Amino acid sequence: MTWTRKFVALLTCALILTLLGGGVAQGQAVRNPDTLVLVRFGDPESLDPAYAYDTASSEIFLWHVYETLIFFNGGSTGAFVPMLATEVPTVANGGISRDGKTYTFKLRQGVKFHDGTTMTAEDVKYSLLRFMFMDRDGGPSWILLAPILGVDVTRDDKGNLDQSLFARANQQIKTSGNTISITLKEPYAPFLSIMAQWSMVVNRRWAIAQGDWNGTAAGLRTLNNPAKPEDTKLFDKGNGTGPFRLVQWDRQNRQAILERFDGYWRAPAKLRRVIYRVVEDFGPRRLMLQQGDADIVSVNRVEQSQVEGLPGVRVVDDLPQLVVTGIYMNLKIDTTGGNPDVGSGRLDGNGVPPDFFADVNVRRGVAYAFDYATAIRDCNRGKAAVNKGPIPNGMFGYNPNQPWYTTDRARAEAAFREARGGQVWANGFKFTIAFNSGNTTRQCMAQVLKTNLEALNPKFKVDVRGVTWAQYLSLYRQSKLPMWIIGWAADYPDPDNFVTPFMHSTGTYAKAQGYSNPQVDKLIQDARNETDPAKRRAIYFQLMRIAYEDPITLYLQPTGFIVMRNWVRGWYNNPAFFGPYVYPMSKQ
Amino acid sequence: MATYIGRRLILLPVVAFGVTLLIFALLQFLAPEMRAAAFITNPNQLNALPAIIEKYGLDQPVHVQYWNWLREVARGNMGWSQTARQPVTQAIRSFFPATLELTVYSFVPIMLIGVWLGTAAAVHRDRLIDHISRVFSISFRSLPSFVWGLLILMVGYGRLNWFPPGRLSLEADLFVRSGAFRPYTGLMTVDALLNGELWIWGDAVRHLMGPVLTLTIISIALLVRITRSSMLEVLRQDYVRTARAKGLAERVVINVHARKNALIPVITLSSLTFVGLLGGVVITETIFNFPGIGRWGAFAAQQLDIPGVTGFAMFVAALTVLGNLAADILYAYFDPRVRLQ
Repeated sequence: MTWTRKFVALLTCALILTLLGGGVAQGQAVRNPDTLVLVRFGDPESLDPAYAYDTASSEIFLWHVYETLIFFNGGSTGAFVPMLATEVPTVANGGISRDGKTYTFKLRQGVKFHDGTTMTAEDVKYSLLRFMFMDRDGGPSWILLAPILGVDVTRDDKGNLDQSLFARANQQIKTSGNTISITLKEPYAPFLSIMAQWSMVVNRRWAIAQGDWNGTAAGLRTLNNPAKPEDTKLFDKGNGTGPFRLVQWDRQNRQAILERFDGYWRAPAKLRRVIYRVVEDFGPRRLMLQQGDADIVSVNRVEQSQVEGLPGVRVVDDLPQLVVTGIYMNLKIDTTGGNPDVGSGRLDGNGVPPDFFADVNVRRGVAYAFDYATAIRDCNRGKAAVNKGPIPNGMFGYNPNQPWYTTDRARAEAAFREARGGQVWANGFKFTIAFNSGNTTRQCMAQVLKTNLEALNPKFKVDVRGVTWAQYLSLYRQSKLPMWIIGWAADYPDPDNFVTPFMHSTGTYAKAQGYSNPQVDKLIQDARNETDPAKRRAIYFQLMRIAYEDPITLYLQPTGFIVMRNWVRGWYNNPAFFGPYVYPMSKQ
Repeated sequence: MATYIGRRLILLPVVAFGVTLLIFALLQFLAPEMRAAAFITNPNQLNALPAIIEKYGLDQPVHVQYWNWLREVARGNMGWSQTARQPVTQAIRSFFPATLELTVYSFVPIMLIGVWLGTAAAVHRDRLIDHISRVFSISFRSLPSFVWGLLILMVGYGRLNWFPPGRLSLEADLFVRSGAFRPYTGLMTVDALLNGELWIWGDAVRHLMGPVLTLTIISIALLVRITRSSMLEVLRQDYVRTARAKGLAERVVINVHARKNALIPVITLSSLTFVGLLGGVVITETIFNFPGIGRWGAFAAQQLDIPGVTGFAMFVAALTVLGNLAADILYAYFDPRVRLQ
């Protein structure tokens, strides 16, 4: 049989040589010069702007099919320019009332929808109400409900729609000629950021003609909380004012096709077509980029080296992102029915008690023990930075001068020696750090932390466990995980959207950690209502300080990168974008 | 014969019932939060987990969930597949033609080359052709399908740019969805010919080549080996010797007397291969980004998309029952000794 083996070996060598032998033809001509092809790995969930709450959906229609009243100024997340409105409301220009509660937008005249009809203030009102009252479970509606009505959901505990909310909203959103005014429940500082991202305007008459919500209270029953994404008529259809119209969402071939809208209120887009295509496997995605069949592709950090140096390909790295990754410590671990992740469940060297992390010294010990530099260098390829609290660096409210934990073995040891009157140090512990399997960055960070903790004291034992995404959700939700790692991406660029999930007692993560600090809750509310930027900043500084003194989470800010053919022109980054903004782009 | 087929078809709903019951029984081991995972696309939705569980009744006992599902199926509604972003029946209808096309195009070379090579290897035992077929069988089988798929994609697309991934190129795709092209069957090559668009046909065939080559390579080895051993067995039989003694031409002896009788195990294997290909060639479809049913089925299972997985399993169960039925009928054709009563 040896000659068979030789033959196989020869065949393999020949193949490998063919592969290594040469690259692609250099200096390719631009493929499909009027069509931009973006290849990603996730399908959109719905193309209805009131239903979608994931970047794979939003990046398709936001500012391409549907536009917002105001828009971000260039790469800034805190400065705005008018879009469908003619000016950005301020107190000075009378757009914001003195009490900070009423925002008035003057609308641009003569803006056409994709069917040729003209946009009016009624369309804007309809769109805002539709967004608020679709309110599907797990949807984005709270983003407008919270500032305008002061509630997060439109239904009571039994799931019945609260009709009085609609009457109130109808009162608070008023149209008059070509202006629309929105009165908030209380002054809500992040409101302009929210408007820049979530005030997408749909064509009212067209939507009603499609059989969508008719705009009345009676019609809310069918609008509110649809059972399936396709129950909303805008699921795979669209009609907005944007530079591109939605031609088709082809769910069999997994692509969405946009085409230039020539009646756009500004100069028509340079590209004739935009195609968002899903290719799950990295291999073909990379080859499509190499062959020029894809112009922009999604790439994970671990795959980055495989696209760098490809001829004709440009990688733009170190992009700021509004994303914070946390390593969470659970102050109230749920051990009912047994929990393998806390070992014996007692502080006997073979487990941890449910309130192990309730002792601030334990948490400080962890914060000092963690080798941030190694975690960033080895797990994030150097493309991340320590963040001094939940607010991402670079955002309003971040205090770059405040102290934060650095790797310090002596201090870590001192903190652990102090914890629980010395029992932690004397008895040791054992618990699990969990990550969602497949996420190698998180796995690596968990390993680093494990090594750091175990190096302090031979009695310290840490397990690292990967669980499937589904199981991760389940365990996280039941507060079963002693320590876990997950990220948070901004819904809108405002510090409120970070301190709430990370620190508020009802926040997505803080709640699962069993963290409740009435002072923090009050400060978060105060900052929300404070319209004076200087005072507001002072409150966030105070919250950041608490995040440092009473640490429940360790924060890292990863940076992003984008991979595209170098014939793509006009791309620019804004951390608030969910995907590339295609309108100014072209290929040449 | 008709009663035999009828009896086999009665089996179909029984199998479907068993398969779906099994899936729902397995779900009992998963927490409701896990079953809700298909609905969480963004960590920012985590707070809504209890509401989602409530909304889709994921915390109800499994028999209640199964009963609700069964009632909907009786009404012709197989549910919403969260991973396909469309109703399950529609998902099957939209993904299946692509897989059917791929299967038919792969099955032809697999059968022709496989049976021919197997026969030749048996007839010329221990001669050059036998050695070559053995080497190829072993080397083809010795690498997993994803390695073959990636190799073929890297060479065939990355280097030579002969067969790109997907089902159609950009221009062809845009033409197909313009009003000028009528989709009759969903099989792209057939539709192209019905529309008289030869260039679409060529484009579709070009895109089929990569996956067809991969599937041929990984499926052919077994067929060659089975055909060979079955042929060797038959060639030793008395009636073959009699045929040769009668002075029949060797070609007639091999093709008529020997091969037909050697085909019984080949039919079994090929029906299994055919059903296997139809039920989804997950890895090949994924690597070549071919919008078939297997890729969807695997993704639905990964994401715990319950209606999706259940519908997919029912569909595959039906295919398997029908595939076995077809094999049985072919047995009767090839071997009159097989009685169908």
